[in-house]
Amino acid sequence: MTAFALLFTLSAIGISETVYLIRKRLASEKPVCPIGDNCTLVLTSRYSKFFIIPNDVLGLLFYVMASFVSGFLVIGVEPLALWNSIFKLSVAVGALLSLFFTYLQWRVIKAWCFWCVMSACTIWLMGAILLVSIIV
Amino acid sequence: MKKTSFHFLRVGLAITFLWIGVLIFKNPEAWGGYLQPWAAGLLPVPLAQAMTGTAILDITIGALLLIDVFTWLASLVGAVHIIIVLTVSGITDITVRDIGLLVAAAALMIDSLPEWVLHKINGPKISN
Repeated sequence: MTAFALLFTLSAIGISETVYLIRKRLASEKPVCPIGDNCTLVLTSRYSKFFIIPNDVLGLLFYVMASFVSGFLVIGVEPLALWNSIFKLSVAVGALLSLFFTYLQWRVIKAWCFWCVMSACTIWLMGAILLVSIIV
Repeated sequence: MKKTSFHFLRVGLAITFLWIGVLIFKNPEAWGGYLQPWAAGLLPVPLAQAMTGTAILDITIGALLLIDVFTWLASLVGAVHIIIVLTVSGITDITVRDIGLLVAAAALMIDSLPEWVLHKINGPKISN
């Protein structure tokens, strides 16, 4: 229950962050960059899309799915085993993708984007919480 | 209110409303137990059904606050909702927390009121 509360909270933070980025992109405005000033460079790079889908939209879909699934698991919506598997698998894929995007910022684009790093940390934290909840 | 603090308050309050909504969905009858008998007697629908409606309202308020759409309306409805909760649940050990949430919702509403609402409240400006 505690793990799901934390996972739900993290997915909600992710939703608010990705919605902010999508709004800024649609309005063709620069997002606020609290640390560093390379957000725009990363967000407008050729790596900001996965085929034709912008990464912020992919992130939003992931976080919405994560919040729904953690909610379902708390409420007890069946099939619980399926929701559990979907949740663990999607967080694992998300964590790996975040690792790849962080590598791109570090080595390829050579610029850091605050929002991208924050999203990556959010997903890694979700992965860590899931791992701890499995172990304990 | 400073922009960053406004968004911290907005997201924090959104998560509170969303999570409460999820918890009420999990066990509506148990949450219905917080209602004073006189308030439960006033309900036109069964208690569990009324609490499910409350959960839907909480989740809607939370979702609107989270995506920053109609923030003023969501925080206004949220504040009114908390006033009703305070009224129907009576004074308990957790009343002080609800007062904190009420003031937070009111602060968000005041800071996000659109121009046309402010214009209606203040009336047209008289130029000399």
